[in-house]
Amino acid sequence: MGLLEEAFEENVLTTKVDWLINWARLNSIWPMTFGLACCAIEMMAVGAAHHDLDRFGAGAFRASPRQADLMIVAGTVNFKMGERVKRLYDQMPHPKYVIAMGACATGGGPYYKYGYTVMKGVDRIIPVDVYIAGCPPRPEALLEGLMKLQEKIKRTPVIRRPARTA
Amino acid sequence: MTDTVGKSEVEQTPQDYKPSIRPEEQRTLPSGEKEFFFDVTTSDLEVNMGPQHPATHGVMRVLIRCDGELVTGAQAHLGYLHRCAEKIGENVEWLQYLPYTDRYDYLASMNNNLGYSLAVEALMPELEIPRRATLLRTICAELNRIASHLVAIGTYGLDIGAFTPFLYAFREREWIQALFEKICGARLTYSYIRIGGVFNDAPPGWLQEVGHFCDVFEEKWKEYHDLLAVNHVFVMRTANVGVIPKEMAIDFGLTGPMLRGSGVDFDLRRDMPYMAYGEAHEAGAFDVPLGEGKKGALGDCWDRFYVRMLEMKECIKLVRWCLEVIEDGPIIGDVPKVLKVPAGEAYVGIENPRGELGHYVHSDGGKVAVRCRVRGPSFVNLAVVEELMPGSLLADSVAIIGSTDIVIGETDR
Amino acid sequence: MEFQAIHDRLKAQGAPGLLGFDEPRPANKKEKDPGRAGMPFVTVDHTQLVEFLRVCRDDDKLALDILVDLTASDPSADSEELWILIQLLSLKHRHRLAIKAPLPKAAATVASATAIYRAAQWHERECAEMYGITFEGNPDPRHILLPDDWEGYPLRKDYEFPREYHGISCE
Repeated sequence: MGLLEEAFEENVLTTKVDWLINWARLNSIWPMTFGLACCAIEMMAVGAAHHDLDRFGAGAFRASPRQADLMIVAGTVNFKMGERVKRLYDQMPHPKYVIAMGACATGGGPYYKYGYTVMKGVDRIIPVDVYIAGCPPRPEALLEGLMKLQEKIKRTPVIRRPARTA
Repeated sequence: MTDTVGKSEVEQTPQDYKPSIRPEEQRTLPSGEKEFFFDVTTSDLEVNMGPQHPATHGVMRVLIRCDGELVTGAQAHLGYLHRCAEKIGENVEWLQYLPYTDRYDYLASMNNNLGYSLAVEALMPELEIPRRATLLRTICAELNRIASHLVAIGTYGLDIGAFTPFLYAFREREWIQALFEKICGARLTYSYIRIGGVFNDAPPGWLQEVGHFCDVFEEKWKEYHDLLAVNHVFVMRTANVGVIPKEMAIDFGLTGPMLRGSGVDFDLRRDMPYMAYGEAHEAGAFDVPLGEGKKGALGDCWDRFYVRMLEMKECIKLVRWCLEVIEDGPIIGDVPKVLKVPAGEAYVGIENPRGELGHYVHSDGGKVAVRCRVRGPSFVNLAVVEELMPGSLLADSVAIIGSTDIVIGETDR
Repeated sequence: MEFQAIHDRLKAQGAPGLLGFDEPRPANKKEKDPGRAGMPFVTVDHTQLVEFLRVCRDDDKLALDILVDLTASDPSADSEELWILIQLLSLKHRHRLAIKAPLPKAAATVASATAIYRAAQWHERECAEMYGITFEGNPDPRHILLPDDWEGYPLRKDYEFPREYHGISCE
C-alpha cells in the first residue's frame, strides 16, 4: 500500500478496510511454480483435480516470481539452489509469503545428518510464514497449511497501526 | 555464476571487417524496389532455462545459446538437488537406507526400493524370497510404472501446452496412490519393498480392487490416446524433433524408453530377467513395445512418448497375470533384526520406468555399507540433450527435455 | 556368455592390462576364509584401461556396447588405493561385465574413456569431483553435481563435513 501502510489509528473504519484488503489478498494467493523435489509431486497433485487448489483462489501458478505472492518451497534446498532461492525471494514483490513444505524445507529432512550440501531448512535464508510437516505431506496437509496462511493474513494490520503494548 | 557456453565468432566489429553482402549484390524485390540492408553484426544470445522453470521437470539449468530461434549450443547444469545419497549410504545401516532410495526417483519409489533390495539380496544368496512376496513386488512395481508414466505423459502435455491431459492423468494416478496407501500407508515414498520381501501383506479386498483398476484403466488409456497422442498439434510439435539414431543411443548409454524409442529391442525384464519376469514372459504376459517411426523419423520425441503409452498397457497385462497366479503365503524371508550383510560386492540393474536403475553395493560384513552406488537412468539419459538441442528451435528444447522423462532427484541423487 | 567364458575370451584376444579376476566364493572354515558373495569382476591395470575397453566394445563375441556405469570407490580410510568400477552391458549377447581398476590415491590419474563411450563423460565428471580422480582427455572437466567452489572430495572416507558454506551454517 505504500504511503498508506500503517498510517492510521485503529478504529472501526480502518478495521473494516483492513478486513476488505485482507479478504481480497487471502482469497487470491497466487503461488510460484517452485517445486524442487518429491514434495513438488504432491504440490502438483494438490493443483490437479482431486484436491483442487483453485477453489481457494490459489490455483493460478505463475512461473515468474515477479507476478507471484506465495513461494511454496517444496523440496530439499541445498547450497547451490539456496542462492537461487534467495534471489527468487528477493524478486517477489510485497506482500509475499513463504510456505516451507515438507521436512526438508523445514529443517533438512532425512538429509539432516550426513547431507553435506543440504541446507538444514530454508529458513536459514528466507523468512518462512508456515511450516508443513511430512515427508511428503499429504495434499490435505498442504491445504491446511494454506488455510493457516490465510488465517495469518486475516490478522495482518495493513493500513492501521498495529497495537503497541507499552 | 556467469558461465558462457563459448564465445561467438564475431564479438565486435574489427577494423578490417568487410560487410558480407556488397551493394552491388543488391537484388530487386518483386515490388520493384531495391533490397535495403543494414551492415550489422550479431552475436548469439545466451538464455538461461534456469533452475526455476515450469518445464524443466525439477531444478535443472540448461544454458542455451541461440541465434534467434535456432539453438546453437546447449549446456546442462545439474546439482541443484544433490542430496548426497551415496555418502548417506556409507553412514546408515542397511535397512535405514531404504527410505533414501525412495527419494531419488520419487515417481517410481517402488522400483527404487526393489533395485536396492535385490542388490543387497544378491549378497545373501541363501535368503529365500517367498513367492507371494515376489508377486506382490511385481504388482507394486508395475503399478508404479503406470503411475510414473502417467506423470510423464501428463507433464509432457503440460510442457507442450495441453493442460487437460495432465488433469486426466492425475485422476488415475490418485487411484493408484490410494491403492498404495491401503497397502503401505504412504502416497509417494513407500519404503514398502524391503530386503527379504515386502513388509505388509495386502489387506483383504486389495487384490480385487487392483483387478477392477486394470479393467477401468484400459478405457482411460483410450482417452489419453485420443486426447493427446494423435492430437494434430501434439504430433506436429513432437514428431521429427529430437531424433536419436540407434548408434547415438547406444553410444550415450541410454536405456529404457529412450533406447526402445529408437528401435533398439532391449528390455531388462525380458532379456535379463529378475524376479518373476522371466516366468511372466514365458507365459506371454507382456511384450516390449518399440518405437516404429510412425509419425516421423524413428527415434523422435513422439516415438518415445508412444513407447511410454504402450508400456502402460503392457503393465496392465503383467498385473493381471500376477493376480491370476498369486497365492497365499509368507511375505518376507528370514531376515535378522540387526542385518549384517555378508562381505562382497554386487551390482544389480533393474528396469526402472526411465531406464536401467543400477545399485552397486559393497559390504565388508558389517551393519553399514562400504559403498552404495546408485546408477540413475535419468543422469545418463540427460547427457544426450546437449547433443540433440543444437540445430533445433528454441521451442523444441522443451519438447526434447520432456521426452527424456527425467526426474531430477535421480539425476542429482 | 558366462563370466569365465568372457574372461577367457578377453585373455584370448590379448586384452591389454588384464590382471586377473575375482569370483564369489563360499566361506571356508578350514582356511579361515570368510568367503565373498556377490558378482564376479575382472581386474584391470588402470594405465591400460582405455585400450581394454576398446577391446571389450569392438570384439564381436563380447560386443559390450553399452557403458552402464563408471564410478569409483574408496575401500577404507587407511587404504592406499581407489577403485574405478565399470559396468558394461551387451545388447546383442545379453551379458554384463564388471571391471575393477585400482588406482593409487596419491596419484589418481587415468585416461578418459570418452573416446570409447560417450556415456563416460558425465560419469567421469562426477567421479572427479567426488574422489579427486583426474580423467585426462575428458572434454569438459567441470563440477557437475557440487557447487563450483566446493572444497574437498566428499566421497572419500577421510572427508570432513564442512562447518559452513558462504556464511550459512552447515550444522
